[in-house]
Amino acid sequence: MHPTPRPHDLLWGLRPEHLPQEAPAWARVALGGHVPVVVRRAAAEAGWVAVGVRGTAREQRYASWMRVADIRRLVSPEAVARAGRWRNHPQSHWPALRALAHLQPRFADLGLAWGVTGSLGFELASGVSAAHLDSDLDLLLRAPYPLPREWARTLCSVLDEAPGRIDVQLETPQGAVALREWASAAPRVLLKTQAGPLLLSDPWRAERTAA
Amino acid sequence: METLSFEFPAGQPAQRRALVGCVGSGDLEVLLEPGQAGTLAIQVVTSVNGSAPRWQQLFERMFREQQLPALNIAIHDFGATPGVVRLRLEQGLEELNHG
Repeated sequence: MHPTPRPHDLLWGLRPEHLPQEAPAWARVALGGHVPVVVRRAAAEAGWVAVGVRGTAREQRYASWMRVADIRRLVSPEAVARAGRWRNHPQSHWPALRALAHLQPRFADLGLAWGVTGSLGFELASGVSAAHLDSDLDLLLRAPYPLPREWARTLCSVLDEAPGRIDVQLETPQGAVALREWASAAPRVLLKTQAGPLLLSDPWRAERTAA
Repeated sequence: METLSFEFPAGQPAQRRALVGCVGSGDLEVLLEPGQAGTLAIQVVTSVNGSAPRWQQLFERMFREQQLPALNIAIHDFGATPGVVRLRLEQGLEELNHG
């Protein structure tokens, strides 16, 4: 039994024959190679989870659904961070990998619950090439309780000392908000929720007014 | 990377500028600046190739209901969904009015 999948978790077990007829050929090819799918932030019926299939090209993304019963393996972004496989990555000069090496001890000192997402998280978890020299470092930070905007600014200054572009998403119980936006002076910030994006002054308190 | 240009009819130039949004996957940055009277000029730099028809549709739908002030809008897109694009544009227009 796996924990309930959350956005950005990687799931194994979706097979080419599970895809609907209209699915693109590249998506079938990708799943035939036993690559994982990425949990999307979208609603699904009971017993199903919204997922995205990644192809080799950047625009190759296919949105689909997977039966929870078909999940063979689940790797969370935190598990990718804990495994620390970037230390053995052959392209250790990539800015995103250097940033990971730089940030890991600092995040540990701060006691943050964090994980690696995006193309690099996918590659580190699956061994399937997805990231490249110019890849951003995409991270998520679990934020079950409200974080002061001042704290967000302090964390941004920690990120600014690391190489490359780093995108940290704060995962609140309601959805995800960009750390940099929460650290800004914007009166309202964009929260990505299961029901779509919302503009809110407090991303920990989503009013029920969908966009 | 693709750069796309769009033009729509508009009113008098806006009085101020606004910058909203975020650099990062699934998001976009929108800079709104006063433009030439009568023209709403939009430039989109996007990481998604072949997306021109989708932008055209989205803008047409948004600007059908309201005549906007004359603006030069620069969009830097990192694969945002149409829902995010619409919200960010609304947020930018709101800041022009109240900012």
